[in-house]
Amino acid sequence: MVVQDLKVLICDDSMFARKKLNMTLSGFGVKEIFEAADGEEAVAKYNEHKPDVVFMDIIMPKITGIDALKQIMAENPDAKIVMASSVGTQGHLKEALKAGAADFLQKPIADDDAKAILENAAKGVL
Amino acid sequence: MFAQFFGGYLFNKKLVTAEDLTQAFEDKSNTRMRLGVLAINAGLMTAEQVEHVNVTQQSVDKRFGDLAVELGYMTSEQVDELLSQQPTEYLLLGQTLVNNGVLTNAEFEKAINDYKRDNSLTDSDLTGNKSEKLSKLISDFYHFEKADNARVLTDYVTMLFKNVIRFIDGDFTPLEAFMVREFDAKYLIKQHIQGDYEAIACIAADRTEYFEFARRFAGDGYPVDEDFVNETVGEFLNVLNGLFAVNESNENGIEITMTPQEKVINSKICFEHPAFCIPVAFSFGEVDFIISSR
Repeated sequence: MVVQDLKVLICDDSMFARKKLNMTLSGFGVKEIFEAADGEEAVAKYNEHKPDVVFMDIIMPKITGIDALKQIMAENPDAKIVMASSVGTQGHLKEALKAGAADFLQKPIADDDAKAILENAAKGVL
Repeated sequence: MFAQFFGGYLFNKKLVTAEDLTQAFEDKSNTRMRLGVLAINAGLMTAEQVEHVNVTQQSVDKRFGDLAVELGYMTSEQVDELLSQQPTEYLLLGQTLVNNGVLTNAEFEKAINDYKRDNSLTDSDLTGNKSEKLSKLISDFYHFEKADNARVLTDYVTMLFKNVIRFIDGDFTPLEAFMVREFDAKYLIKQHIQGDYEAIACIAADRTEYFEFARRFAGDGYPVDEDFVNETVGEFLNVLNGLFAVNESNENGIEITMTPQEKVINSKICFEHPAFCIPVAFSFGEVDFIISSR
């Protein structure tokens, strides 16, 4: 698979953060990008679209990104979910990795980091 | 960041106005450092000696350094050393203020010497952004040492200014802080920090300044409607608080997290504990950063 064919879900309660990452991913040629504004919507959109990669914020209304990660992983153990949060503390990092997160990016997300995630996902090594 | 706090020092001492600083920050990128200001800063020449060389230069076609050596004010080795130094931001600001006629060489000499003495700063401290000295400078500037939570406030505000420079711009002057229990907000974003301790952090401004702050963080090409601007300022606050939380976790073993940001528009907010309001004068106007912690 190539990066351009990946389906990506962006979960972030910040409209600005979603738009910024969406523009970055579009710039890499990704055509199918979906967005969710809270943890509940993230789970629903995952089940609806079955994306290849998910960028998941942690601090979100309704349910947190960590809880959304747990719910998605429970039903989809092969899901590739990258936590993308401003709060990359040891506690959050451990909890996310224990719950099955594929990677962790500290916000603001650098373009190169986002690209590396997509390239690994396309190669099937995320 | 020493440049901004040097600007704040000059402003508080009423040596310059906010307009002088705004103009100087705008002009600074085109300023070429002059040997005289470097020599005054290094303590190698007095302002009077610099003026003497400047006046002499009007009748003799010689470079400043050569004349200063001829007049016995510096050795050629000292001139070479000054010329090899990279200009620092606070000196460029000082040079720009001198060029703009806001400060004389003598006023600059007194101001820079007082600034270094008052803040126990050496030339070496002022090169780059040495964290320890920067924290001390910020703590002293805002008198945080009197607060119960001085360490948290100092670290938070240091992180704040690093991120303002990183994401917004360096064209600002920190103004004197004041305590508030309530705040009349035109546009305000707040976020609760909770965990090993609790705090509230806010960013507030009038409409024009709030929108420009958001534009600078987002860059061009984004919507300029109110909802999007609220989200953008909220994301700046979220990134700042997140980076602070990471530092607290890594450096101090303190675990904190944040709740989703909330907006407050055209209403008064009250703080359970006294909050520090830290006004910052940007070239586009004033933005207030408020932090309340216990």
